[in-house]
Amino acid sequence: MIRELIDVLISGITNGSVYAIMAVGMALVYGVTRVFNFAYGSFYSMGGYLAWMFLKVKVGYLFAIILVIPLLFLAGFATEKFAVRPLRERKDWEMMALMATLGLALFLDNLYLVAFGPFVKSLPLILEGQANLGGFVFAFQDILILLIAVSIMIGFMLFLGRTRLGMSVRAVAQNVSGAQIVGVAKDRVFGFTFAISAVLVGSGGILLAPKYFVSPLGGWEILVKAWVITAFGGMGSIKGSLYAAFILGIVEALVGWQFGFTWTLFAWVAILLITLIVRPQGLLGTWG
Amino acid sequence: MKMRKDLTILIGIYLIFSALPILFHGDLYIMNILIMCLIWGVVAASWDLIMGFAGIFSFAQVAFFIIGAYGSAILTNALGISPWLGLPAGGLITAIIGVLVGLPCLRLKGAYIALVTFAVHMILVPFLKSDAGRAIGTGGPQGILSIAPLKLFGYTYSSMEPVPWFYTTFFISLIALFIIYKIIHSKWGLAFIAVRDSEVFAKSIGINDFKYKLLVFGVSSFLTGMIGALYAHYVGMLSTRMLGLDRFLILMVMLVLGGLGRFPGAVIGALITVFLSELLRPLEVYRLLIFGAMVTILVVAMPQGITGLFFPAGGSSPIARPARFILKKLRG
Repeated sequence: MIRELIDVLISGITNGSVYAIMAVGMALVYGVTRVFNFAYGSFYSMGGYLAWMFLKVKVGYLFAIILVIPLLFLAGFATEKFAVRPLRERKDWEMMALMATLGLALFLDNLYLVAFGPFVKSLPLILEGQANLGGFVFAFQDILILLIAVSIMIGFMLFLGRTRLGMSVRAVAQNVSGAQIVGVAKDRVFGFTFAISAVLVGSGGILLAPKYFVSPLGGWEILVKAWVITAFGGMGSIKGSLYAAFILGIVEALVGWQFGFTWTLFAWVAILLITLIVRPQGLLGTWG
Repeated sequence: MKMRKDLTILIGIYLIFSALPILFHGDLYIMNILIMCLIWGVVAASWDLIMGFAGIFSFAQVAFFIIGAYGSAILTNALGISPWLGLPAGGLITAIIGVLVGLPCLRLKGAYIALVTFAVHMILVPFLKSDAGRAIGTGGPQGILSIAPLKLFGYTYSSMEPVPWFYTTFFISLIALFIIYKIIHSKWGLAFIAVRDSEVFAKSIGINDFKYKLLVFGVSSFLTGMIGALYAHYVGMLSTRMLGLDRFLILMVMLVLGGLGRFPGAVIGALITVFLSELLRPLEVYRLLIFGAMVTILVVAMPQGITGLFFPAGGSSPIARPARFILKKLRG
């Protein structure tokens, strides 16, 4: 019982770490550009499919990841530049941006369907084998995912806190006109934010693909999950999303263990709705 | 009294439609498309009432349509009530669920509403397929395989005779659209426009937008559920496949093509999209690819939709705008 519980908690934390990357990407976009990106889940699948393509031509995992990341970056940047930026002048642009990115998401999903067929693709494990520590079994794959996810998070935090570009991203998030007055190019920051978020969620796609497969519609569950995490943590709050991802990751593992994984989303949505009724802005969010 | 332009257009469309069975009454395929046009016209217009007029980003429209359809199908199958009662009952069930969803949602802001309502759509499929769903008669993953057709004065509607179905749908949809028209031009409609144009000002003069939004959410869900119920009895079977994203995408094309908040644009959008969807059917999977791209391109390049081409807002037409731009340039 206790052993099972610990196994469940470990798997919850591992998944939670990947959810954290994806939720932070969503919180970043919403916090900085005020756009809810409906195509977010499609970038998750894009990461998985691109990695699958490169692995198919036998370039190895490391090179596959090195090749996929710039492509994701470009896709995110292009989305902002062509589907969101032209809308910004309009009065009802928030709703328009929702519709435009939703259209893009449905376009991309059908593109995957046409290009890769309806069946799931599986990626090989990055690392095979497992370690046995005092009776507990740790798969190398899980440890690696946790390490990669945590290093991505730390790298991202350092980038936001220490680099010039990261600081301009934070400046735009706080006050767009203020940032413009001190010479921050807001369009570039917006585009860049979309690009980084596509890279974050796409890397999540690569990391989770060996476990959960890649499918044309697989991104929707991720979109809803990433959103539940961000809304629970507080829309636009990066720290809130981080906590929320681990809490909900563990909830998912516990619910899956006790009742089966089909109930995960119900449990998440229930937790979210209760939280929103008590605290409409989420754990650490602010209205604005 | 001078008739409003939107009502004139709507009546014009319906006059043309009323005569179409004379030409096509023998053609089951065309008649089916025409009936679908009428049904989706109501779904799109009630969605537009929420999205375009009330300014609520609700993405649960297909879910409401299906809730109404399942509601009426289950009631007529399980309790044996008349399908005619099933229609308002399906609408009422949907309205109750709509208000329950609306209560927490409408206190939230923009993207939150979009996602809570979208989550309703997402969790409806596993619910209808689950054992809990099967217990209330959704038929589980199989769906509901037979639903009683309508009956009138001893006559039982049949899928082989589309004309009675057509005129029934015709009148029900006309009533639904007229209700939407009335709401848009009522005090509620005015309140929405005030809130949409300046929320702070509208609130300062005492417009309680929450109350109006909840009311309109209820009415719109009712109409959607009722037409969903009619759809269920017309098609005669239901499955969760209707909740696939393809339906959702096609409904979005209708709205975007017709132009948001431009009644009866959504109805026109629905007519065009239903025909377009049939024309593009041979392209199979590529059809949805085209529709997805269409939504994004239309939103970016043609925000007022097709109706915007003919009846631009603010009195400027697509020709007048560039002309004015050039004049301005010439003057320096």
